[in-house]
Amino acid sequence: MVNEDSQSGNSDCSGSESGEKRNIVSNLRRASDRRTVLKATGLAGLTATAGCLGGGSGSSGPSGTFKIGVLAPEPEKNPIGASIANSAKLARDELNENGGVLGNDVEVIVKDTKEKPGVGKDKYQDLTVGENVDFTAGVFTSEVQLALMDSIAEQETVHMDTGAATPEASTMVKDDYDKYKYFFRTGPVNSHFLGQNMVDFASQNFSEMGWDSVYVLVEDYAWTKPVQEVVKNKLSDQGVDVKNVKRYAASTEDFSTIYDKIENSGADAAYVAMAHTGTPAILQWAKQQRPFEFGGIHVPMQLPSYYSAVKGACRYAVTQNSATPTSEVTSKTVPYANAYKKNYEKFPVYTGYITYDAVHQYAQVAEDQDSRKADDIISGLEDSSFTGTAGTIRYYGKDEEYPHDVVYDKTGENGVQPLWLQWQEKSGSGSQVAIFPDDIATGSYKTPPWI
Amino acid sequence: MNAVMISALYALVAIGFTLIFGVGGVLNLAHGASITIGAYAAYYVTSAFGLNVWFGAIGALVVPAAFSALLYAGVIRYVEDDPITVMIMTLVTSIAIEELVKVQFGTQSLAVPSLVSGQFHVLGGIQVNRVLVFALSWVLIGLLFAVVNYTRTGKAILATSMTAKGAALVGIESDRMYLYTWILAGAFAGLAGLFLASLRTADPVMGRTPLVLSFSIVVLGGIGSIRGSVIGAYIIGFLETFTQSYGSSSLTGLASLVVLVLILLVKPEGLFGREFTE
Repeated sequence: MVNEDSQSGNSDCSGSESGEKRNIVSNLRRASDRRTVLKATGLAGLTATAGCLGGGSGSSGPSGTFKIGVLAPEPEKNPIGASIANSAKLARDELNENGGVLGNDVEVIVKDTKEKPGVGKDKYQDLTVGENVDFTAGVFTSEVQLALMDSIAEQETVHMDTGAATPEASTMVKDDYDKYKYFFRTGPVNSHFLGQNMVDFASQNFSEMGWDSVYVLVEDYAWTKPVQEVVKNKLSDQGVDVKNVKRYAASTEDFSTIYDKIENSGADAAYVAMAHTGTPAILQWAKQQRPFEFGGIHVPMQLPSYYSAVKGACRYAVTQNSATPTSEVTSKTVPYANAYKKNYEKFPVYTGYITYDAVHQYAQVAEDQDSRKADDIISGLEDSSFTGTAGTIRYYGKDEEYPHDVVYDKTGENGVQPLWLQWQEKSGSGSQVAIFPDDIATGSYKTPPWI
Repeated sequence: MNAVMISALYALVAIGFTLIFGVGGVLNLAHGASITIGAYAAYYVTSAFGLNVWFGAIGALVVPAAFSALLYAGVIRYVEDDPITVMIMTLVTSIAIEELVKVQFGTQSLAVPSLVSGQFHVLGGIQVNRVLVFALSWVLIGLLFAVVNYTRTGKAILATSMTAKGAALVGIESDRMYLYTWILAGAFAGLAGLFLASLRTADPVMGRTPLVLSFSIVVLGGIGSIRGSVIGAYIIGFLETFTQSYGSSSLTGLASLVVLVLILLVKPEGLFGREFTE
């Protein structure tokens, strides 16, 4: 009943919005001076906002169809966004085949954030206020995730972050638990731990790989700040000679001058953190056959179809990843990747594994708690230990440093442990060969022939 | 070394931009779109048909030239006397092209093969591709010089840029001359797109930076002056590389804009003034 009430409230809200839009248009037509228009628009905006802000899902939770709101960047064009959207749909189909969640049909509603904080906020509002979803999942860009934090608190609706890595979000949960407790990060590990994982990988593999000195290169986006911090503070403690830690502009297209510097420093390798700017970087490294090796966190390289997309330029480069289609991180990894490929023709990227895990874990917790109330789900998620495709999904508790972030465990037993892969060529086509950790490695690191 | 190479490419873009402005008096904000179209045409030819990159180069020459011709003949010709409408139309066109490219090819950066592979083992190793791009850019610039100064059509273009009325009196069809400049500018920008993509990558918004740089270059060199554009391109190219090497990479774009503002304030006619004045 409550749900029906709130839904009818919503339709009123959108109804009045469109009514006001019509008014604005007619005002615009009639207005003889700009001030009138400005006043009218401002007023309309104010009333619309006031009308729509009415708080969240209420105390007894939603009823009827179990709705999942998904926020993905350009799900039609961007493989990262497509993996989020399609994996949620894949999980939906599986849940529906098994009787839905608490006996209700599961529905997925996808909205495009366009990687823009403002758009993300609007779409979040559409999902929560407009569609009254049970929970939201997705978001790739940290800047978008941070812009949503207050809306999530206002709507009192659980959000499962499945792409953005900034620890600022979980720091907000730590600072004001009651307000921000609705935020969970199913993956990837937050960027503090992404950095820690880079350090752990270095300490266990660099000497064998011959990477005695590295030049650290990070793109200037919010997610890399903690990565940079950890790597800067801890990497040299592992006996690695860190030549420099360089943060380069997000708009960089030409890496020649940066690569000249790396070359002149005499570093064995560029140890990188790149998501948005990775492709020009790897192409120029390969085409120019620079005399240093290349590895780190390189998000585009995680894409299974990347080898053909860059015509083999990523060969010999190394990246961290949540999972690959052939690596047995858990017994669920390979079957999920295959099911995804069967349905959507391509293999997913890391956001896909995580979103799939997030939806299934949420559904599992709802079943276990026999409730759709946000508070019940939150305590359920806090206690949950769920075997997903990307590892064992557990969340840090309220009193730990990063509450509600997925637990990073360098043994992989009590949390998730990212894997490391190298692009190698096997019988004429590219292959993501897992090289670390040892229990899932399917090959070993190979040095580029031009070095 | 980087600066010398990249400046030649910038010159290629800026010349087309200044040609259209100098001859037709039209500010073509869709010039960046020709760059993008050139790069993606080359990508399409090499990926979808699996053809050699030199066939891709033909695509990068023909498709943007056709696009540019179509834009002029189909749209700009009817509104060219109204600068505001022209700006809006060309801006809208360039945004539309970006969106179309996103829909068709996705938002990820794409690889276009190098024109030639390998390294020269001098000065610590230079990519042969870079040297070739540099050389080709200069060949094209040289050809344009020759065409404008020594052929009948080139001289007619020059005449039109000086005075359209006068040119009409001696029997030059100014519409046809404008069309030629648009085709030339489109082809140059398209090839620049291919070169840029083969050195870096192709992405939907790749035309924006060169367009903004073209503003600075053209204003610096003197609007309408080909010689000025080449010299302007070198000054801006060096400034950019210098900022990147010795300053911060995040200031790269800013440096050329500062130059733009300074020149507009101090010497608005640019280094070489306007060769084609009425």
